[in-house]
Amino acid sequence: MTKIRLHIYLLLLFWSFNFTAHSSNFLEEENFVTSFADSAISILSNDTISDPERTSSFTELVMSSIDLNLISKFVLSKAWKNASDEQKENYLIAFKDYFVSSYANKLDQYTGEKVDVIGSQEAGKYVIVESNIVREGTDTLKINLKWRLLNKNNQIKIIDLNIEGISLVIAQREEFQSFLANNDYDLDKLIEKIVSVSD
Amino acid sequence: MNLRILLVLIIGSTLIFQGCASKGTELNSSLSQQEVSTVNDPFEKVNRVVFSFNIIFDKIILRPIAVTYKALVPGFVRNRITYSLNNLSMPITAVNNLLQGELRKAGVSTSRFIINSTVGLLGFFDPASSIGLVTETEDFGQTLSVWGVSSGPYLVLPFLGPSNPRDFTGLLSTSLLDPMYQIGGGSAPDSLRTYRLGTGAVDFRSQNVEILDDLQNNSIDYYAAVRSFYSQGRESQAASNLEIDSSDQENDIFDDFEINESYVGPDIEITYD
Repeated sequence: MTKIRLHIYLLLLFWSFNFTAHSSNFLEEENFVTSFADSAISILSNDTISDPERTSSFTELVMSSIDLNLISKFVLSKAWKNASDEQKENYLIAFKDYFVSSYANKLDQYTGEKVDVIGSQEAGKYVIVESNIVREGTDTLKINLKWRLLNKNNQIKIIDLNIEGISLVIAQREEFQSFLANNDYDLDKLIEKIVSVSD
Repeated sequence: MNLRILLVLIIGSTLIFQGCASKGTELNSSLSQQEVSTVNDPFEKVNRVVFSFNIIFDKIILRPIAVTYKALVPGFVRNRITYSLNNLSMPITAVNNLLQGELRKAGVSTSRFIINSTVGLLGFFDPASSIGLVTETEDFGQTLSVWGVSSGPYLVLPFLGPSNPRDFTGLLSTSLLDPMYQIGGGSAPDSLRTYRLGTGAVDFRSQNVEILDDLQNNSIDYYAAVRSFYSQGRESQAASNLEIDSSDQENDIFDDFEINESYVGPDIEITYD
């Protein structure tokens, strides 16, 4: 009996603290994420089209929703500024193929379930929309996703996806920087490597 | 007596690691003339060797077990295992909540453990969450970060994988602090420890089979990718413990980059095949 009373007491004590404030300051951006996630799920769960068709329309959706030019430059960091025009061109082509073959197809692992938008906030030049994915077959095992969006000329684009505190773009950048540091900062070697991985 | 020796060891080692940390920063600052690097990894050469060893260990033992586990055990049961591991980590989480001065969270962790161990049938179910008792697991490495101990240089440990002096110290201190090991005695705590370590590794690996396969296949530098994932993950946990918005740190990195930088090269049109 005392145990039950203790439980009830503990419940009452902590219940009230656990309501999270939903701050939707950036409705347009939140709707962008919701509609992106909905389109992604409807493509991925569409059984009437073939696998290659599904992949290509998913890739198309991803590529039209992100700012690949900006991401390409960002992950190369300082090396971008020192690159020759020819290197820049080769790199952009190589990175696009690499992105499609690795990321675009990778993202379907995170959008297979319903994405619940839980809030948004300003972050410097960007807006971050926060969302959760609930793990299949559970109510409470959640994956937290933060979408970094840039609204440029009234066009919203995805700049980064942060999964449980890990930014994919920053990880990619550190990977490229590490490769360059171990290869005499030779950009051509990096481009070569990117091409070989995406083949 | 033993306790005192261990405490001295912990405090001593954190001090030494602090030293390492600042040394690492110096190394980085000499690097930064060539290329900006926020990565603190002065032992990269040794780390890469251990990392390669771990990959082989993973390929031969851990991954096959995880894949088999995932194939044979239904999702429902696997989710129960995840819940029970989470439940077993609640007492140590409560201790760390207290050490971090988070009385409310300590209350949540304790009530979670009480409710899920009883009503939740030994922790295989999670009724506590459905009544709003939600908390993150906490380890001693996170407590050290709240106390202001910096992570120190990145380390790859044999079998255990990515770490750093702060988190490794936290790992060693866990059995000292965990009420599950301190209370009860006898063989029960040992079997719990084995369950948690063994099953925990398989549970974690099985949740990440596709992601890690993907990462390994698509990486330009797999070592650096894992290092970034680990460091970013731990940093964001540390930030959330200190109630700092971790996106603030990220913003600085993203703001470094000039959006309107005029691009001099040929404009590449993005097309899809």
